[in-house]
Amino acid sequence: MSDTKTHSIDISTMQRSHNTLRIEDEKVCLSVKDLHLYYGEKEALKGIDMIIPEKKVTAFIGPSGCGKSTLLRCFNRMNDLVDSCRITGDINLHNQNIYAKGTDVAELRRRIGMVFQKPNPFPKSIYENVAYGLRIQGINKKRVIDETVEWALRSAALWDEVKDRLHESALGMSGGQQQRLVIARTVAVKPEVLLLDEPASALDPISTLKIEELIHELKNEFTIAIVTHNMQQAARVSDYTAFMYMGDMVEFGDTNTLFTNPTKQQTEDYITGRYG
Amino acid sequence: MRELTTDHISQQFNNELETLRQHFLTMGGVVENQVADAIQALLESDGELAEEVKDKDTTVNELDGIIDEECTRILAKRQPAATDLRMILSISKAVTELERIGDEAKKIANLSMKLINEGESPRGYVEINRIGQMVTRMVRDSLDAYARLDVDAAIRVAKADRSVDLEYKTAIRSLITYMMEDPRSIGRVFNVIWTLRSLERIGDHSRHVCQHLVYLINGVDVRHIPAEQLENTSKQQSEDE
Repeated sequence: MSDTKTHSIDISTMQRSHNTLRIEDEKVCLSVKDLHLYYGEKEALKGIDMIIPEKKVTAFIGPSGCGKSTLLRCFNRMNDLVDSCRITGDINLHNQNIYAKGTDVAELRRRIGMVFQKPNPFPKSIYENVAYGLRIQGINKKRVIDETVEWALRSAALWDEVKDRLHESALGMSGGQQQRLVIARTVAVKPEVLLLDEPASALDPISTLKIEELIHELKNEFTIAIVTHNMQQAARVSDYTAFMYMGDMVEFGDTNTLFTNPTKQQTEDYITGRYG
Repeated sequence: MRELTTDHISQQFNNELETLRQHFLTMGGVVENQVADAIQALLESDGELAEEVKDKDTTVNELDGIIDEECTRILAKRQPAATDLRMILSISKAVTELERIGDEAKKIANLSMKLINEGESPRGYVEINRIGQMVTRMVRDSLDAYARLDVDAAIRVAKADRSVDLEYKTAIRSLITYMMEDPRSIGRVFNVIWTLRSLERIGDHSRHVCQHLVYLINGVDVRHIPAEQLENTSKQQSEDE
């Protein structure tokens, strides 16, 4: 029995605090300072201050109309396309103001890619969908394109399913596959940030889980911001969660904490299904 | 043997469940040693070893907290269903049993210090040795059953608790007789009785751990079913399957 005396284990590796992320410890990818956004007279974002940490998943949750998609669109200036839209405040991508005069918006959107709710593949082959962004950039070498297409499809966990039918139409794929194809198309141009606007809301539960697993893989290489109506999805995939309500950022913090012990009553009410 | 912690689409979820399982078994290992050491400390009047047992209580409490927190987080973030849900509930309850086994071991360590300081009891060590061996084995077997998800082994442990209860009653009876013969020894004999009581409780907690395992595997709550009927529930279950 004496050998058991020396039995000791190291519990320091499983300390409780170990599981709480601190935003102060993160590298900043995008920072938002006092951002106001107006659609005509209506103020849709009321002074947002936050950072999007690098190579982490940040989820935005909140009831419809709370401004989460609007905020996400600010990150790659999609709101420029809305006529009545006016913005004040700053958004910096690695300390560079993306609303500064002379910003190349096309280049910005390459660096900050976006995936929408409904899969929107082009009516082309699977291969051409992924190669499209590269061709736009003037890349024509077949070998480079071949390699990038394979890399992007592998990154999107799609390669094994489509490698034998790369030249068939993308429209023949299932919804879940199409959405992963769109993600592959987005990562093919090597962006720094991926914006996902409800990427799984049109998909069945299994395809949804595949997308979520993919998001988890992709954060090794990209900074990810995701808007979702499904707060359980936010809980599953994200490192940080922002809860928005009526254009305000009510609470922003470590996902584990936000979903087990939020600091604001409003957040608690929303995530427990008491209003919203 | 079925695997509980693999095959989810979410690799992250697999990892979380596996970590939880590992931490649970780690805690089991610490508690198992605590029990064996506490009994040894008492039988050999080893004060140093008794101190060690008491010190380990901090580790056990810490692990209890960590595992609880992991369960909470998985429930909040993953909304587990079916086997996954039962695994979380089962571990969360079994952990409480382990923590209590640790507490009983600590009590035994305290009693052995008392026996060292106040003088040994004239009787009862044979019983402590015998019941001690039985419950140490129960703790180990219940953890083995958990590690292998082995329902049959769990039922065997639950049944073994019957023999512990029987031995305990017999021991108490003989110690009462002894105290009646020699009232001066009552104080010291009582330390032995409390030790036996702790051992008996450890047996109960091990049985509970096994009941939680049966719930995990078969999905039946067997906490209030007598040990001899446990097999029926499991057979019925496997026929259904």
